[in-house]
Amino acid sequence: MPEGASNFSGTVDWVFHFINYINYFFFFLVVGLMVYFVWKYRQKGREVYARGPSHHTALELGWTILPTIIVVVIFFMGFRGFVDMKTVPADAYQIDVTAQQWSWQFKYPNGATSADLYIPAGKPVKLVMRSNDVIHSLYIPDFRVKQDVVPGRYTTMWFQADHATGEDDFHLLFCTEFCGKDHSRMNQKVFVLGEVQFDDWVTKQGRWLDELAKNNPDDPTILWKVGGPKLVGRCLSCHSLDGKSGTGPSWGDYDGTGNIWERLDKDKVHKVDGGKPVQDLIGPGRKYETREAYLRASILAPGEVIVDGYGNVMPTFKGQLRDPEVDVLIDMMKNLKDEDGKPNFDSKGKYIGK
Amino acid sequence: MTTLDARSPIAAEAPDNYLTFRRGLLSWLLTLDHKRIGVMYLVAVLASFFVGGVMALLVRTKLLFPGEVTWMTAEQYNQAFTLHGAIMVFLVIIPSIPAALGNFVLPIMLGAKDVAFPRLNLFSFYLWLAGAACAVYSLLAGGFDTGWTFYTPYSTNTTLGGVIPVLVGVFILGFSSIFTGVNFIVTIHKLRPPGMTWFRMPLFLWALYATAVIQVLATPVLGITVALLVIERVFNIGIFDPSMGGDPVLFQHFFWFYSHPAVYIMILPGMGIISEIISVHSHRHIFGFRFIAFSSIAIAIFSFLVWGHHMFTSGQSPLMNVLFSAITFSVAIPSAVKVFNWLATLYKGSISLNTPMLYGLSFLFLFTIGGLTGIPLAVLSTDIHLHDTYFVVAHFHYVMMGSALIAMIGGLHHWWPKMFGVMYSEFWGRIACGLVFVGFNMTFFTQFMLGSQGMPRRYYSYDQIEGMAEAFKMYHHISTGGSYIMALGFVITGIYLLHSLFAGKKAPANPWGGASLEWQCTSPPPHDNFSKTPRVGDCYDFSAVRWDEKQEGYVVDTEAHTASTKNGKGH
Repeated sequence: MPEGASNFSGTVDWVFHFINYINYFFFFLVVGLMVYFVWKYRQKGREVYARGPSHHTALELGWTILPTIIVVVIFFMGFRGFVDMKTVPADAYQIDVTAQQWSWQFKYPNGATSADLYIPAGKPVKLVMRSNDVIHSLYIPDFRVKQDVVPGRYTTMWFQADHATGEDDFHLLFCTEFCGKDHSRMNQKVFVLGEVQFDDWVTKQGRWLDELAKNNPDDPTILWKVGGPKLVGRCLSCHSLDGKSGTGPSWGDYDGTGNIWERLDKDKVHKVDGGKPVQDLIGPGRKYETREAYLRASILAPGEVIVDGYGNVMPTFKGQLRDPEVDVLIDMMKNLKDEDGKPNFDSKGKYIGK
Repeated sequence: MTTLDARSPIAAEAPDNYLTFRRGLLSWLLTLDHKRIGVMYLVAVLASFFVGGVMALLVRTKLLFPGEVTWMTAEQYNQAFTLHGAIMVFLVIIPSIPAALGNFVLPIMLGAKDVAFPRLNLFSFYLWLAGAACAVYSLLAGGFDTGWTFYTPYSTNTTLGGVIPVLVGVFILGFSSIFTGVNFIVTIHKLRPPGMTWFRMPLFLWALYATAVIQVLATPVLGITVALLVIERVFNIGIFDPSMGGDPVLFQHFFWFYSHPAVYIMILPGMGIISEIISVHSHRHIFGFRFIAFSSIAIAIFSFLVWGHHMFTSGQSPLMNVLFSAITFSVAIPSAVKVFNWLATLYKGSISLNTPMLYGLSFLFLFTIGGLTGIPLAVLSTDIHLHDTYFVVAHFHYVMMGSALIAMIGGLHHWWPKMFGVMYSEFWGRIACGLVFVGFNMTFFTQFMLGSQGMPRRYYSYDQIEGMAEAFKMYHHISTGGSYIMALGFVITGIYLLHSLFAGKKAPANPWGGASLEWQCTSPPPHDNFSKTPRVGDCYDFSAVRWDEKQEGYVVDTEAHTASTKNGKGH
């Protein structure tokens, strides 16, 4: 066994070694007796008929019952360890895993993604895994954990690594379910970082947007043109861009009242909280200073004001979207149409403007 | 005077044997004689074993190098290990003992003239050939790289053209296996001569009977499964592929519902052979006949209830994992019972270390390791770590190759004088057995280390990340070295066995001193096996067996043999 590095490695190794010692005992017993008998009772000359007992019921019952007892004990040891592996602590830090031929993607709560797995030390980590194509299996030998990643369903696993490796050292992560040509190249590193170090890393990793802005200082529209489509994916499962009604209000035109940005400007169209025009809430000195402030609140605190005709179902995206990302989404809402009134984005959020 | 002719009237009335009974190619191809069909199976199975072995050596040789090699791409490697697995399972181990040795020995041991349905028997053989032909065609059609397990949705979507032909081949091979099973069940029920009660039946026949039951009950499920897979691939009907609305884990359930019992189709007949070899070469009554016999039946029954232990990490519900883990241990008990009984058979025996016995003892050694290493795989928490690593590879090679196949080779040596009427070189037999034993352990014991270190199976390369190659390379080198030693052992075996056919010393009717019926007809047996219905004694009662200097073989005093059994010296 490689050196253990998770909360499970201790018990798994203990059971493994316990079984091994039992196995050594029985192996040496069987082979030892075999060698002894073969030597002691070797054929001498052409003497052929040997009179040994043909059966001994008590002895035979004994060696039926004894192994039964041993395996029952061993079963329970493995069972207890397994139940622990399947009982995810409620406060586990969730990382979403997507496997596909032949790479892994790890996605953190702030939207940051990485190809290698980074986890905080001393904190239970839960992986929620899905596959885009065939069956894969995520295996971290040092942690003694493994779980198949099956297309068409989510599988989960959890573990806790107590010792930070830093960014210079790492554990190995393998794919262990045969998945085609480059199956043996679906290996990644697992970095365990101290809690502070991990927070730094995950924030920095989530800062792709800043890089985008830094690299294109002369083009302010690049953010919503490139960044918008990247971010909007998760919105689109409830909000459409073409006016169709969904779980939440469409961002696009509906009933000729204009898109979400325009609606906020038109008098008494967008009604909230049981017939109140939203405009009454927006303006200097009112609940929301500007339209942007209202939209921002709708993303980060969706329950504050509920649009008529819809339920209070939207989860908050606080902590999942950073401020610059919220700004990009609001910019996107402002720019759903170009100057000629043509849509800038298709229904899947792809930029189709000039 | 104890001469064979005087004691055994059967032999005296058989001037020619089954090999010389009729001559010409057609007399073989259209034969209904179970012995000739068994020999044809043997040739076919050994040829497949050669091809599967070459694939294994290719795989092992590639693994000498952690990274990519120019002479074998990842695709070729994946096809090589897939072919190795598929050939060894479907074309070699499953038919090897029942269809090749079983066909030859079963009716003679039983005291019958043939199996119950000789035509069906020949048909099974031709089905096997058709299945093998499909497998060969699949290579021409583009090969397949799914692993022998054909897991969906990979097998549904892989673009290689050989997948459907090989699935058709597996389907056909399944029927070959089913028909053999039906034949054996009916033969054992209906063709026992007077006096051959169930508890006088040799343990090899008990094992073949248990095997036949599994073959008949489990194999149809494999047929249905591969048929569904073909339907999914051809007509895009979603059964297993989630993108068409299917469930990939369902395939695993179907597949292992057959393939776990199939493990016992492979090992049970091997256990039967070992019961014969150990008893005969110890010249001593088998210890605990009933326990061994019933443990075969117990294994056959339990084998149907444990398939889920292949799927502890598949995403099936934790409750099912727990149940399957618990039931799996039930298989361990009858296996342990058998080992202890064989061991007790050695006690106070008169043990001759002939080649078959060396294989028998090798089996005992290797099966003990194979069986014991199954325990950490049945235990839930440790299996999570070991699943799909080289630990599993090592474990099932110890059981399937180190046990089932070694038993088959041992049985081949045990009955070779009977089958072909010649003796092979004992000297080279022992050398080869030693090489195979040492090579085998070198090859596969290192893989336990590899697996517990975390090396996943079915890996073409192991150098992607720094540290991997260093961790695994040494074990891979020893393992590959061992596989070459083992290959040398098998090559020597092939040479001296072929040599014995042409220049071997003529074999006596009973070279080892067995008391079961096959040793009472000539070597090789006459066409009809027995011209008179044989008299059945206790097949493990060796008190009437004597060494006869003139024949350089043993003779059984039939009068004394049946008499001593009647006197209540039976089981």
